[in-house]
Amino acid sequence: MKSRLLNVLAAAIALAIPVLAHHSFTMFDTTKQITITGTVSEFQWTNPHSYIEIDVPDESGALKHWSIEMGSPSILQQSGWKFSSLKKGDKTTLVINPLKTGLAGGFLNTATLPNGKILGNGPGRGPAK
Amino acid sequence: MKAILCVVLAGATLLPAQSTKTPDLTGVWSPFTGGRGGGSDPKINPPAAGQLVLKPEYAKPYEARRAAEAEATKRGEQLATSGAQCIPYGVPTMMSVAVYPVEMIQTAKQVTIISEAFSEVRRVYLDRPQAPLEDVAPGYYGRSVGKWDGDTLVVDTIGIKPSVNGYRGMPHSEQMRITERFRLLTPDVMHDQITIDDPVVLEKPMVYTLAYKRVPNYEMVEFVCDNNREYVDEKGVVRMKVKER
Repeated sequence: MKSRLLNVLAAAIALAIPVLAHHSFTMFDTTKQITITGTVSEFQWTNPHSYIEIDVPDESGALKHWSIEMGSPSILQQSGWKFSSLKKGDKTTLVINPLKTGLAGGFLNTATLPNGKILGNGPGRGPAK
Repeated sequence: MKAILCVVLAGATLLPAQSTKTPDLTGVWSPFTGGRGGGSDPKINPPAAGQLVLKPEYAKPYEARRAAEAEATKRGEQLATSGAQCIPYGVPTMMSVAVYPVEMIQTAKQVTIISEAFSEVRRVYLDRPQAPLEDVAPGYYGRSVGKWDGDTLVVDTIGIKPSVNGYRGMPHSEQMRITERFRLLTPDVMHDQITIDDPVVLEKPMVYTLAYKRVPNYEMVEFVCDNNREYVDEKGVVRMKVKER
């Protein structure tokens, strides 16, 4: 069984490998997931990545700003996103992989939109389309 | 039946091209294992990629770079790449950027190929010969000419400048020549067999095959890299800019 799995892996490696579109996910801690809830200050539907800028209150009520990276619009639309899915002032809950540097940034896993819909971050990331 | 066909044909002007009708590659094509095409089908999988065999003087720095990249990944960092800086991929890498599709527009005289990632465009001329290498200004897309070999479109590309990223970061010289063989395996599955020949850098030609599935009715998404928040720090590591409140 193990050797069969290894053969499959070897075959997969031997196939032509597409390059990454932009960058790897190494900078994000994919072993860690954190949940933040706050108010969207900007939704950037842009390339090479889209971003959710969000103000998140801590226990004392003080706001901390987070920049959350997403896929590109082409990738995101496969998860049901639209340029108008979020707008300034929307309340949303995001599950993210934080930056390894500890800065207030991360990579989106899922977002709960104001209408309750949960969207992922492209194929294979988050809820199915 | 045969007799009827002969009668019909006798009254028509026969065009030689009609007897060997060329396939139409026009359409949007998604990488086989990409999100839009679904899972890969073993019956139409591309063959395994050939081995990259560099001449020793090029193999050493290439391996050193690969090792440095692997070390950086272990540290949780990514070394700078041209992609992270939004520099286009050029030929042939633009044909296989992550899950992004390519659009092919075929006319009698030209095939135009547009990659959704970075909106890269290449033009393959079908009605003229290749130019001498010394007449082609080195660039990202070089100069491509194509001709039909039965059901296969054979595309010859020269004039890719050495600074343009090669397949899996391989180095190449101005003498690199790329031969592609585009073929429809089924009406909705296309292979692009890519042969990279470079007498300066390679011990033997590098061959790999890309597979695509047709994505009917897909509308290509705009991709202008105007919000690149990834930057390269003083150590050559890719970082993401976070916004201050």
